[in-house]
Amino acid sequence: MDGTAKPTGAKAPERNPDGTGTAAAESVSTGPGRVLVSVYAFFSLAAGARAGWQLVTRFAEAPVAYSLSAFAALVYIILTVALLRGARRTALVACLIELTGVLVVGTFSLFVPEAFPRATVWSTYGSGYLFIPLVLPVLGLYWLLRNRAAR
Amino acid sequence: MIGSLATGIIIASLVVALIALITTIRNRPVGLVLLVGLGLLEVAVLVQAVIAIVRLISGEEIGQTVVFLGYLATTVVIPIFGAYWGMAERSRWGSGVVTVACLALPALTGRLLQLWQGVG
Repeated sequence: MDGTAKPTGAKAPERNPDGTGTAAAESVSTGPGRVLVSVYAFFSLAAGARAGWQLVTRFAEAPVAYSLSAFAALVYIILTVALLRGARRTALVACLIELTGVLVVGTFSLFVPEAFPRATVWSTYGSGYLFIPLVLPVLGLYWLLRNRAAR
Repeated sequence: MIGSLATGIIIASLVVALIALITTIRNRPVGLVLLVGLGLLEVAVLVQAVIAIVRLISGEEIGQTVVFLGYLATTVVIPIFGAYWGMAERSRWGSGVVTVACLALPALTGRLLQLWQGVG
């Protein structure tokens, strides 16, 4: 299923003759994948910076919301790296976690608002971020699965 | 940080984003116009960063200095990243990367303005 994305192979900077490694990375991080990587990289930076600050300074105010922010940032970082290195299965799993996260947290924040006194990236389905957090995992899953089918 | 410079950066970046989007739709790779646009944006964000840091050092008080500096550093990196990652592929998707970068920059600059004025 996922024979092309060997973690050890993806690390090698040289192009491997057997089609693993760099070639695997190229198949998901080029073309439209390149745009996807840049969006995820931006979200990693923005969400990561914010979550880090919240965790360090105000964790006691809203531990659940801020832990979730940090978790979301972590998922974005993992996705960015996985896409760059062609770790297809990791990227797929992370995309599914991301989609689940935004749907569950979005629904909770609508119906049980007191559970999230502070906004997270995923609150109300990411409406504070133009719903990009909701659209992104769908695009990501589409891209990863379509890309795999084409191989 | 000066509001007018930040506003200028936001507007200019949106203009470059629009040009990049049109380039993407027209199925063209990143060209000279987009590179010059990114270069001008880079100069503008560097000037903004210098002004902001000078004013912070000279005693300007803002609420979340660390987050502000993090975002400020990110604004400086975005045009460079957009040019590098956008030029790495000579296809419409390179232009797509520049579009994303030039939409991310106004969003971050807006957050910078909010932080500077002590909102959020």
